[in-house]
Amino acid sequence: MWLEDIPLGRMTILGSYTFTEENIIKFAREFDPQPFHIDAEAAKQSPYGGLIASGWHTAAVWMKVMVAHRTAQIASGMEATQENYLSPGVREMKWLRPVRPGTTLTYTTEPFNKKDWPTRPALGLLLSLNEARDGDGVLYYSFISQVFIARKPG
Amino acid sequence: MSEPLCFEDFVVGRKFSFGDHVISEKEIIEFAKEYDPQPMHIDPVAAKNDLMGGLIASGWHLCALAMRLIKDGLFHDTTSLGSPGVDKVQWRRPVRPNDHLTMEAEVLEARYSKSKPDRGIVRFRFDLFRIDASGTRQLAITYTSPVMIRKKNV
Repeated sequence: MWLEDIPLGRMTILGSYTFTEENIIKFAREFDPQPFHIDAEAAKQSPYGGLIASGWHTAAVWMKVMVAHRTAQIASGMEATQENYLSPGVREMKWLRPVRPGTTLTYTTEPFNKKDWPTRPALGLLLSLNEARDGDGVLYYSFISQVFIARKPG
Repeated sequence: MSEPLCFEDFVVGRKFSFGDHVISEKEIIEFAKEYDPQPMHIDPVAAKNDLMGGLIASGWHLCALAMRLIKDGLFHDTTSLGSPGVDKVQWRRPVRPNDHLTMEAEVLEARYSKSKPDRGIVRFRFDLFRIDASGTRQLAITYTSPVMIRKKNV
């Protein structure tokens, strides 16, 4: 599948992830050891009133469900794009509400634009709006991804 | 670190240099196996034939590592009250095993919170640099983000 084959405006459900006290603390001990991310007792005294996930944990999980979704697509015989996703960056990351233990977020992606990338003419840039919502549809996190996708040769 | 920094310390234009971390192949692969299991991040052999010409760290890993360096080198336990998001992340250069990582931060804006008297909002630019074995120093990632910072004696 090439950049040209990807439809704009179609939302895909990537997958879900449950944030637990265990995985919140494990991530944060390594990467974001602030009291409200690593210590349930200290977090009670914080402005959040309890333990919350690091925003970078919420962000990294998007990549996890994205890669898992794609791997499952390939395993089911569907055509996918090139093997590795490269990206020049992301925009407008919004951590809209704290993610607490027990929250399950479902991540979605919806491509909305394609752009040329003059220095890499074999590739184009796919821009997508990505969201993470709980079971009630409440939005917790959103951002705009930009991923290089190979163009149809010739 | 001595006295924890607070809102009043983050004057517009002030710059900070901190952080000292050598990233190993093992930690690149460990992060990626959990959050970003693409060949270029987990398989040194397959990565050699890829566009990037060898194993590179996941961009999300670099964001998470930058957070860790910020927590250890700039923010004390009581400095940050979290962040509502990130305006823009740019992944400029790949980071490879055994690269030496350092950080710079610059205060772009600082204002009092309108709704919460205990804090101000400081917009930072955070830069993560890689220094490779030859001593070449390159900007690896850069991002701008507003962070809620506790005011002095509140």
